[in-house]
Amino acid sequence: MRTRFWRVITPVGFAVMIALIWLLPLAGQAPPPRQPSAFPAYKAPRLNGHPDLNGIWQAFTTANIDLEDHEAQSGPHPELMGAYGGWPAGQSVVEGGEIPYKPEALAKKRQNVANRMKVDVSNDKTWHNLGDPEMKCYMPGIPRATYMPYPFQIVQGSSPYILMAYEFATASRTIRMDWKDEAPTDTWMGWSRGHWEGDTLVVDVTGQREETWFDRAGNYHSDMLHVVERFTPLSPYHLMYEATIEDPKVYTRPWKITIPLYRRMEKNVQLLEYKCVPFTEEMLYGKFKKGAS
Amino acid sequence: MRTTILFAAIVTIGLVVGSRAVSAHHAFASEFDANRHVVFTGTVTKMMWVNPHAWIYVDVKKTDGTTEEWMVEAGTPNTLLRRGFTKASLQPGTVIKVDGYQSKDGALRANGRDLTLPDGRTLFLGNAEAGAEGGPGAVKK
Amino acid sequence: MHRWLSSVVVTAFAAVAISSALLIAQTPTATGAKPAAGAKPQATPAKTAAPAKPAAKAWSAPKTPWGDPDLQGVWNDATSTPLQRPNGKGETVGEGDASQFEEQLASDLNRDRRDGGPEIDVNRAYNEHWMDSRRLKITEDRRTSLIVDPPDGRLPPQVQISPERQKIRAERQAAANRFNAGMPLVATELSLPIRCIIRTDSPPYLPTIYNNDFQIYQSPGYVVIAPEMIHSARMIPLDGRPHLGKNLHQWLGDTRGHFEGNTLVIETTNFRTDDGTVYQGANPATYKITERFTRVANDTVNYEFTINDPMTWSKPWTAVVPWTKIDPKEQMYEYMCHEDNFDIVHLLTGARNREKNPSLNLQPAKR
Repeated sequence: MRTRFWRVITPVGFAVMIALIWLLPLAGQAPPPRQPSAFPAYKAPRLNGHPDLNGIWQAFTTANIDLEDHEAQSGPHPELMGAYGGWPAGQSVVEGGEIPYKPEALAKKRQNVANRMKVDVSNDKTWHNLGDPEMKCYMPGIPRATYMPYPFQIVQGSSPYILMAYEFATASRTIRMDWKDEAPTDTWMGWSRGHWEGDTLVVDVTGQREETWFDRAGNYHSDMLHVVERFTPLSPYHLMYEATIEDPKVYTRPWKITIPLYRRMEKNVQLLEYKCVPFTEEMLYGKFKKGAS
Repeated sequence: MRTTILFAAIVTIGLVVGSRAVSAHHAFASEFDANRHVVFTGTVTKMMWVNPHAWIYVDVKKTDGTTEEWMVEAGTPNTLLRRGFTKASLQPGTVIKVDGYQSKDGALRANGRDLTLPDGRTLFLGNAEAGAEGGPGAVKK
Repeated sequence: MHRWLSSVVVTAFAAVAISSALLIAQTPTATGAKPAAGAKPQATPAKTAAPAKPAAKAWSAPKTPWGDPDLQGVWNDATSTPLQRPNGKGETVGEGDASQFEEQLASDLNRDRRDGGPEIDVNRAYNEHWMDSRRLKITEDRRTSLIVDPPDGRLPPQVQISPERQKIRAERQAAANRFNAGMPLVATELSLPIRCIIRTDSPPYLPTIYNNDFQIYQSPGYVVIAPEMIHSARMIPLDGRPHLGKNLHQWLGDTRGHFEGNTLVIETTNFRTDDGTVYQGANPATYKITERFTRVANDTVNYEFTINDPMTWSKPWTAVVPWTKIDPKEQMYEYMCHEDNFDIVHLLTGARNREKNPSLNLQPAKR
């Protein structure tokens, strides 16, 4: 009896003790969840004098479905896809819960949702008007590339460039460190310039094509998009990712998302190809093939 | 429709040089028609700095007073960026002369075989001072 | 007159087809050249890319802070030296003949010339300033072909290929003919470059008309090569891990690397079996490519590759291409492709329009 009691209580007590040690530094702070401070202080190892962010990272979140709160939904064509096509529920990653759209911009976002699975590339001038770019296998832009459900790799060495390579659509971007020149033109992954603030890699992103979206829920921006990202190492296995999004044409004020990134730990894990262009060709171009119309 | 009066078919007096420049593949010829040589002058309304090919939209006034919109295909913009040009280097309103070949199906598209300013200077090279002042990609030559 | 050219044309049918534009340049020029000696890079350093800088006795290859040979930077591999040696040429051209050789090649490649008739003219497509001007120079060591082995500077003869592969090749050729006529049936029969699936990012890296740029990144345990077209990053682990499993194939294969002295040696396997994923329609199942990168001067890397596919060529062949470091201000830029690939729709809708209305097809003007 007594032995049995101790047999149970010992592991429980041990667990409680661990939890207390873990939480002790936070006592009395009532920290908001998902804040870097929720982790014990951590100083990343150095590479060439800077925090070493090298590795394969991935967000485990449903933010790519919707940055804001969203319920579980069937996804497209449940009559074909069943639970295969289902999209899980998720909590908002937006600070304050909602994106501060201007009223007229909110209407456009709703229109995007209605049109997210439509495509029409028969006219160059309206080529990008319909459809979620993800569905068309277009490069996702920033910040979406970071929290899509695919890994990405940071390659940081001793040159003034840091590479971020994404599995989705084999997209990539170079982060030019301490760089002055502005984007010469707009691109799908934008123009990224970085600097270090303590242990945080801060990346200023401009020059993004206006056609990218933030998620499948049609959250969008204009050609005025300005994103400031912060990558902060929290442990050998975690980065905290924060992105402040500014676009005076679309939002009433800048807003922020916060998403932890996890190091992929599998032995010999590597980025694989997700070249999705072939998956889209029938959808995009099928109606132009011989005999189609 | 397939022949606009504005577009004078030009007989290219070419020497068939037996050189290796002869293109064995008909890549551009798959979209653009060697039999539809077009030369026209128009006003740029927009340039799309995209790959695989840049596109320049040109409004062309016809003799009957109406306007046709042509899409003119050009090369990869990355080369221009490396030479220091930016998306500001070709402004709407610029008048350009297009010497190229029209789409095989007669659509109002052409490849910009030779793109010049009206005075004959080569586009971009000729108006370099208008846009590129040694931008991020300035090549020292 | 161009036996060397036509042999390339015959074999180039699928893999080398870069977009419309690239295709043109690739075939006539990309044939090319080579330094002297053989497959082994160490055997030929003096004769390969940087002979002009004599021996550079004092120079030692830079290292990264963690001790690997340092290849970081933006590099350009353009040259007019053809892959295969033109008939009648020696291994190199003499100093006196070099400028004439170079001028001839540059004149052939010139996009501003308008001679030769409209069929040729349309395919030159754009003025010179849209192109890479570095492609008008022969290699510094004045080679006449990029191929260094076989010693005649030419691709080895092809072997008899299986009836199945012959059939696939014939189908690809028929599709290519439809494309050239502007009458493709469906998007998926177009070449991989035109579909924006692979462009010059598939090894071997060979010079083309533009965007001959590669950025090399390094971190402890990795080298990464990012070719400009199409924005892919080739991750090369150096930790000795095994290749991907035999059932996991990729368009760009699976690369592993290690350093041998100052040379980065990489091997790539696990190519998809789709026709056109490996060079010149070789057999992906038996195709083996080994690439070596050796920094021979501050601004030069010798890029050497050896291809072996006994199901396609009678013996292995090796080429050396010098890579030149470019001014950091010159930069690489994003090469989007699929996102704004208007041409693919123009091609397909153009074909459908002409099927419906044959009168759109013009006959060549009398000359």
